[in-house]
Parts: sequence; C-alpha cells; structure tokens
Amino acid sequence: MAETRYINGIQQALLEEMADDSTIRVMGEDVTFGGPFGATKGLVEAYGESRVINTPISEATIVGMAVGAAITGLRPVLEIMFVDFITLGMDQLVNHAAKLHYMTGGQLEVPLTIRATCGVGGGYGAHHSQSLEAWFSHVPGLKVVAPYTPADAKALLKSSIRDNNTVLFLEHRGLYWTRGEELAEHEQVALGEAVVRRAGKDITILGVSKMVGTALKAAEQLAEHGIEAEVIDPRTLAPLDLDTIVSSVKRTGHLVIAHEAVETGGIGAEIAARVQEAAFNELAAPVMRVGAPFSPVPTSIALEKEFVPGPEQVIEAVRRSIAYNRVA
Amino acid sequence: MLPKLSGEQVLEQLRLAIVIRRFEEELIKLAGSRDIGHFHVYIGQEMTGVPALYLLERGDLSFTTHRNHGHLLARGVPASQMYAEILGKETGMMGGRGGTLHLCSMEHGFPTTSSAVGGATPLATGAAFGFQRLGQDRVSVCLFGDGALEEGSWHESINIAAMEKLPVIYLCENNSLEALGQKAGEYPSSTLAAVDLIDLVTPFGVPTIQIDGCDAGAVHAAMGEALHRARSGGGATFIEARTVRWPGNRPIWPELSTGETNFAMAWDSSLVPTEYREWHAEQDAVLRFIREILAEGLIEPEAILAMDAEVSAEMKEAVEFALASNYPPAAAAMEKVLA
Amino acid sequence: MTTSEVSRDDLRSFLESMWLIRAFEEKAAEIYARGKINGLLHLGMGLEGVASGAASAMRRDDYVFGGHRAHAHAIARGADITSMMAELAGRSTGLCGGKGGTMHLSAPDVGFVTATGVVAGNIPLALGAALSAREAGREQVSAAVFGDGAGQAGVFHESLNIASLWKLPMLFICENNGYAEFSPLSDHTLVERLSEYAKTYGVPRVTVDGNDVLAVRDAIAEAVQRARAGKGPSFVECLTHRLRGHYEGKKSEYERSEIDSKDVVRIFERKLIESGDILRDEATEIARLARERVEQAAKAALDAPWPQADQVTTQVLST
Repeated sequence: MAETRYINGIQQALLEEMADDSTIRVMGEDVTFGGPFGATKGLVEAYGESRVINTPISEATIVGMAVGAAITGLRPVLEIMFVDFITLGMDQLVNHAAKLHYMTGGQLEVPLTIRATCGVGGGYGAHHSQSLEAWFSHVPGLKVVAPYTPADAKALLKSSIRDNNTVLFLEHRGLYWTRGEELAEHEQVALGEAVVRRAGKDITILGVSKMVGTALKAAEQLAEHGIEAEVIDPRTLAPLDLDTIVSSVKRTGHLVIAHEAVETGGIGAEIAARVQEAAFNELAAPVMRVGAPFSPVPTSIALEKEFVPGPEQVIEAVRRSIAYNRVA
Repeated sequence: MLPKLSGEQVLEQLRLAIVIRRFEEELIKLAGSRDIGHFHVYIGQEMTGVPALYLLERGDLSFTTHRNHGHLLARGVPASQMYAEILGKETGMMGGRGGTLHLCSMEHGFPTTSSAVGGATPLATGAAFGFQRLGQDRVSVCLFGDGALEEGSWHESINIAAMEKLPVIYLCENNSLEALGQKAGEYPSSTLAAVDLIDLVTPFGVPTIQIDGCDAGAVHAAMGEALHRARSGGGATFIEARTVRWPGNRPIWPELSTGETNFAMAWDSSLVPTEYREWHAEQDAVLRFIREILAEGLIEPEAILAMDAEVSAEMKEAVEFALASNYPPAAAAMEKVLA
Repeated sequence: MTTSEVSRDDLRSFLESMWLIRAFEEKAAEIYARGKINGLLHLGMGLEGVASGAASAMRRDDYVFGGHRAHAHAIARGADITSMMAELAGRSTGLCGGKGGTMHLSAPDVGFVTATGVVAGNIPLALGAALSAREAGREQVSAAVFGDGAGQAGVFHESLNIASLWKLPMLFICENNGYAEFSPLSDHTLVERLSEYAKTYGVPRVTVDGNDVLAVRDAIAEAVQRARAGKGPSFVECLTHRLRGHYEGKKSEYERSEIDSKDVVRIFERKLIESGDILRDEATEIARLARERVEQAAKAALDAPWPQADQVTTQVLST
C-alpha cells in the first residue's frame, strides 16, 4: 500500500468531495493560497475562486455565514486557521450551528464542517496551540472528530463533509507531515467509530489525536517489560464509541486516557465517568488520566516539552493503574 | 521631514531605528541556523514606531501585535532579553512563556501582546477607560495592522472610545501597500470593502490623520496632536501610517532578500544594487531618515557608520547572551497560572 | 405618503396584514399576562409597517432572518398564525414543536428561515443565505432584520464588509426604534443613523420613515431589484417606534397619550379613510376579522397537546 502524509489526506478529501458535490464551498482566511499549512492547496486551480473563497479576518461572522449558507442549500467547509481563533466565533457556533436543527423542530439542517488546526508544537505560544475538543463535545448538536492517521484524516473528513450536522474537524499540527498508509479506494470510515490500534490483554490506553502515537510508543516500551497494552483511537469524540472502549476495559480491567488538552475538565474526564458507570465491577483500578498541566501553553521549547505529556507519563500512569491495590 | 526635536533627540531616534533594523536582521540570520518558530519582523516600519512611541511618557501603555519587536525596542526594551524570550530562555522577559508573538514588558509600558489579529483593540480601549475613570493622566496606544480592521471587535471598541472620549490612540500601520517585486493583489493582508481605512472611523466622529509612515516628521507631528488631544480630555484619535511592505516580508517566513542594510547607501548611491533598487533608493524609511539627517548636517556619515558598528556589536552580543542562557526549568511551565 | 400609484386592493391588503400582526401580538400579550406563554415575550407593536412593507416587496423564495422581536415578519411572510401561537405557548403543534418559542420562530416554507435571540446574530446567517442565493442563481435575495442595538455589534460591521466585497444579494433592514434593549441608543453610541456605516463600505443606503408603509415598500423594492440584478447589497433604515417595553412586563418608553400619533397601524388606517380609499366601516371590519382569526388561532393553539417528554432529546442531531 502506498504511503501519504496526513496533510495530503485532508487535501485529497477536499478535492474528491468537491468533485462529487457541487454545493461544497471551501471558505476561510487565506484558503485560496492553500492556508498556512497547504491543506487547501490546488483547490482554486481545480474548482476556481467561486468555490474556494477567501474571507476577511472576521471569525465571528464567517462562522455565522457558513451556518447561514448551510441552512439554505450549500455545504460549506470552513477553515479556522487555528482552533484558538474559534473563540471569536463561539456565539455563532454554539448558539446557531449547534441548535438550529433542534430549535426549529427539525426544519433546518446545518451541514457544515469546520476544520481547525490544534495542538502544541514549534513554539507557537498560547494563542496558536490549544486543544479545545472538550468545549465542543460539551455542546449538544455538534460532532467532534480528531483523526490520527493520514487515511483517517481523509476518510473522516469525507464523512464529516457528507454529514448533515456541524462537525468540528480537529487536525493536530504535529500530525500534518506524518506518513501513513493511503486510504484504500472506496474505503469509508463512519463518524462515531473507534478503532483498536494495538491489541493487548493487560491494560487499555486510549489516546486522543496525536496522543494515539504517544500511547503506541508507551505500549511498545511496556511490551518490553511484559505488559501488553491495548491502544484505542476513538477518532470521533462526539458522538463517542463507548462500546469499543468498554468492551476493551472489560477484558483488561485497566484504563489510561491520554490527551494533549489540559487534564482538568478534559474529554478524558467524561470518558472516565462513562466507563466507570458501564464497567465499575470490571475495573481493577480507577481510570487514570494523562493530560497537560493546568496552565496556558508556554512558548519556550523547554517548557513546551514539559507541557505535552510523553510516553513516560503514560507509562507512569499504566504502572500506577497496575500497581493499584483494591481494598476489599 | 525630520521631527521637530533637538538634534540630539533626532540622533537618538536614529540609533533606535538602527537598533531595530539590526535586531531583525540578526534574528532572520539566527532563524536560518535553528528553528525559532514563526516570527514577524518590523523592517521598513522603523520610522513609524520610533517617532510614534518616542513621545510617550512613563505610565503610558502600548498594546501591540504579532509584529511587535520594533515597538518594544523603540521604548528601550533590552535586545538581549528579547532574543532570550524569542528563543524561549529563562532570561527572557517572560521566562520563555510568551515568545515572539507575546512579547511584553510592563516596565516599558507593554502590558501584553495579542497575536490574535485585532485582539489588542479591546484591551487598549479598556486601559484607556481605566485611566479615565481613575483620573490618571495616562494614554493608551493601540498599534495594529490593517487586517485588524476586519475584526468586529475593532468597531465595538472605537464606538465605546468615541462615546466615552477615552484617552486612546489607534495607530494603524498599514503595510499592505504594494511592495517592490510583488504584483498588486498577490499577497493581500487585507480584505476590506472600504476604499479608505479612515472611512471606517468617520461614522464615529473620531478625528483621523493619514500620514506617510516612512516620514518621521509626519509621524511625530501626528502623534503629538493625538497625545495632546488624549491628555486634554479630547478623546481618541485614529492615525493611519502607510508604509510599503518590505520585500523580505513577502514570503510567509521573513527572508533577508534585500541583504543586510548598508547604511552608506544613504549618501553613496553607487552602492545601491540593481536588485531592489527602488527599495533602497526610495522606500527604505531608515535610509530616507539618514538622508534627511545628513541634509540638516546633524551628523557626519562616518559617525553614522560608527553608531551602526556599535549597535551591530551590541546585537551580536545580545544574541550570544540569549544563546548562552539556560532554558527555564520544567517546573516553570506550571508557575504563574494564577495570581 | 403617496397612495396614488397603489391600487385600492393593495392598500387594503397592507391594512389587513398590519391588523393581523397587531391582533396577533395583542392576543399574545393577553395570553402572556394569563401565564400561558413562558419566557421573554418581545412584542413589535409599532413595527408592523416595516414587516408588511418588506414582505410585499419580496418573493416567497427570498430569505428573511429575524431577531428577537420578529413575530411581525413571520406573519407578514405568511407563516401560519395558529402554529405560531402554538409555538409561543410551547405546544407540540407549534412551528418548531415547542423547541423554539417566541424568539426562534422558523417557517422556511414561506421564507422566514429563522430568528435569533442574540442581538445581531442573524446578520451573518443572512449573509450566508445571500451566498447560497447567489450560488443558486435564481435571483433570490436574503434579508437580515435587526434593531439599532445591532449596530454596536462587531458582526454587523464584518457582515457589511463581506456583503459589499462579494456583492451579495443581501438586504440589511434596520428597524431603528431608538432603543437598544432597555437603553436609549444614545447610551450606546454617538451614531444615530445606522445607515452611516453602510456608506463606509460603499453599500447603497436609504433612511425612511418606518411609519410610512408605502415608503418602506418602495425602498425595499428598489433594494431587492438591485440585489436581483447582481448589483450587491443595500441598507434600508426604517425609523420606527417600539410602542411596548423591551419585553412584556416592562414599561413602554412612551406615554399613553403619545402612542396614538406614533402607531403605524392607526396612522395608516386614518390616512386611508381620509383619502377615501377605504370606508371607516370597512376598516373596522378588517380589524374585527383579524381579531377573529387570531382568536381562533389562539384557541386552537392552547387546546393543542403539549409535546411528549421524549421530544427533549430528539432532533439534537439530524440524521
């Protein structure tokens, strides 16, 4: 199977979906130039500036405009350059995109995909590095997708675009240039389906986005010490594929959740709560979480390294879980 | 036109302009040898920032953008600390937490830098509101590019500033005019329907001044007028300073495409290369400032070269200081989250 | 007011439309006072002329996006008043099955797409619909209706900029009633006429007397024509009076004695009687019929069942 980069998976999905559906409009700041990372490169050449639209730096309005276009027949794919900037568009996202279908008693649908770069890397600082997936997952009416592999990036973006709801499609900047197998022709991945990236019997590790890779690295090191970890990539955070997670936990009895967002109030807290409700008796230890410390993202490469949890922290959490003594 | 100041003060401004130019050039060179993350340089805009901020007094605050290095240097922030901060070292002003996009130094009147386009306008307006309500004789200066005018918060801010007659100066550095080697519309930073930026201000009744941002004297006069208005209870002013975008800012990452500046080009036109001739001969604001200074006979060319040599050495030293500094200890990542 | 070039039938239907809106809101106020409508009820009495004038100049497939005070526009567009009243009362037969309520009416089949509870929040939505309209190529237009309070919101400015830049078929319809929520406009801005902002972005603009329904219609018709011809957006500012307080239960900003001279329905009715275009008895009959229709609608609405409990979690996502 041929290899591709994550960023090319995104680009391919956009090119292919635009060919299939004439109502798609790719919009955002600098998208006609390919955006800062090249995800929209080649779209103007293929489909012209009428379908690839450069917007002013007006996030509050362009989110609302994408919603307005979505409820009246278009299928916009909006790029928010950094997820940090979606704070300016939160009103339209939370009050309209997420609620219009419900508030109108199902009369309106909002087939909108919002792509945004997230994550720490390269010393971009506190305004260009956050992971805000928990915010979006907290809002009824939104779907939240965070792919890890290039093939998933492509497949899930295609599914997101085809979905009739507003989907937050979160692309970790640190994954853009990673390589992986290309998506097989006609292969699809539905939203809301987790995947087991590595089978194991001793403990389940769930990684979000780029932290899937961290979890896999940790699992390899653990294997050298005789601990076989199962690594789950949820891929979609809302709706969450709880069945896959719970069935794994029921076999292993242990769960560690790793994400790059700050641990406090992170998506891991929600997953942990749901897992303990569904599998309390099968758990041999409390669900452990690994996340960023409760601080803004620092810029210095030295501090950034400290901020982002690595395999060591995951391994440490695994050890704590396995060593846990349950008092009868 | 030179600012209406003493010869000594004008030469002080020249030194600051050279500091900025050499600081940025060293930084671009540094970025060629190691990954320092994305950054923005102030080359070409020196003669806006230096005379504009020169008139501020202790206690006045400036709020700036991702293109902030020149502003901080103009108010005297040590280059060594700035390099250290940009490199993420513990000797930086914020101990490596902020980096190039968020440089600040309260000691020099820079409370924060917002790298979200337009993020500083409400902050600067709020500071002015505080000064006014606390009865303090202080002025808030909001520095931003033309792109910030596309954000709604700008309109929300100036509406309030106009209504409350706040002591705030909105200084827009419009650097999106066509630069040499760049086709019109090729790399727009601005997507505005307004024909003139000051049209955005007219409905609010805030006085506007449009100036050539490469004309130090015009910047000085405009800021003088605006500061007087702010300090005398007359409220806000909007200044549009137009500068030509430096060709090295054309790519996403700055490049020293016009080479390291040879200030002797100001008096010896035979040194001006054919490539980017228009930039060197007409558009480079620092060279233009030097030509004006020489015309007034304030200094000899040799003394300018000596000043430059001194500044250049200082910048190299500052870079060395930053490179030799330690990274902050890991535990620092968790400090200062809450007051 | 020039009534000469308007047919008697048209004048009559304006009066019918305005009375229907008025009767609906009077009834809503009454039901609200009896505790049968929950939430915050923002009535638009005094704004009927803008709604009727605008609706008469637009097509059924044009888009209208309202704000929190938008009953009038939904009715003027032809939304079913029984379903509207049922929605206000939170019944299962409401336009939105009781999930939207007074501030979030939606009747897309008559072009009243949706309404928002966030001041100025509907403007970007209408902008997006204008983009859809342009792309669909059927000469539709999209209108955002907002009050003067929206002028201080950033998205208003951002939207004007984009509409102008992209020459979108969009109408900015401003109901400038001089009050932003509870405060007079002068507390919020020095800019009295919101149309000033349109000038900045090169958007054609006009300010009309919102109490002159025919002037409103003419201004909107011209703007619509411009939009359909691909010439971009327009700004129509209608100077109006909000005769009730910000929402029901709050005091009106006007004395009772002032209201009659500022009441667009009464003004229009008097003009028609004076010009002989309609007989006093006919006018009385139009008002009576409107009240009768509303009475029936209200009865049907209040007799309708409440939504089932399971409706709380349906339609969160579309399938």
